[in-house]
Amino acid sequence: MSKQPLPNAKERLRLFLSECGRRARGLCDSLRRQPNRIDSRFVLAFRYRYWEREARGLELLKEWLSPEQFAQYEAKSYFEVTGCHSGKRYRINRGTSMNIHELDGAGRPRLGWCFAPQGHLVAGDVMLAQKIALETDERGALAVANRFSVLTGPRTTLLH
Amino acid sequence: MATLIVMDHTGDTRHNFDAKNADALLKAEERFKELTGAGFTAAVRTASGEAGVKRTFDPNAEETLFFPRLVGG
Repeated sequence: MSKQPLPNAKERLRLFLSECGRRARGLCDSLRRQPNRIDSRFVLAFRYRYWEREARGLELLKEWLSPEQFAQYEAKSYFEVTGCHSGKRYRINRGTSMNIHELDGAGRPRLGWCFAPQGHLVAGDVMLAQKIALETDERGALAVANRFSVLTGPRTTLLH
Repeated sequence: MATLIVMDHTGDTRHNFDAKNADALLKAEERFKELTGAGFTAAVRTASGEAGVKRTFDPNAEETLFFPRLVGG
């Protein structure tokens, strides 16, 4: 009885993905028939601006990281900060959501926190805001954050 | 030259001003109040490289960074 919702959820997910695939194939077919429908200049400009924004965000982040955090980020694509109120260590992974892990005494992720600045910001900006928030107003940041569980053991690496 | 850096969807927008010019300083302070009033957090870097939050305009800060209000993800 209690196992019933899971197959239903799986079935709904399968149908949803199948519908997504059907629509994607339809869009591809439509574009094949009308190749000029999307202006390639628009696509190139969009891509260029997207990467330009991402690069600017990362530059800003790197300017504000401490030398230790900068070295850690360059080597591992994450950096660690210390919460100003609890003294706990947090790992901020590259990303814009579900990218903060609270670490245990051995430096292993024990809990996930999810908060970010409002609006659609690039990853560098989001990570910088998360760093400043944890280092200057840890309680305030965690008060708005959502928690999520982190896999422990060998599968933990999947989250990095 | 001092700078106010505002995070936004374009990456960031920078407003440079001459901190020795009274008019420019006044405009920068107005922008500071406008942004913090809208929920942005203002942060500066200390000499040791640590970040600190500013509730009032700091005319001596070389760079003041503004990021939007935090929300749970």
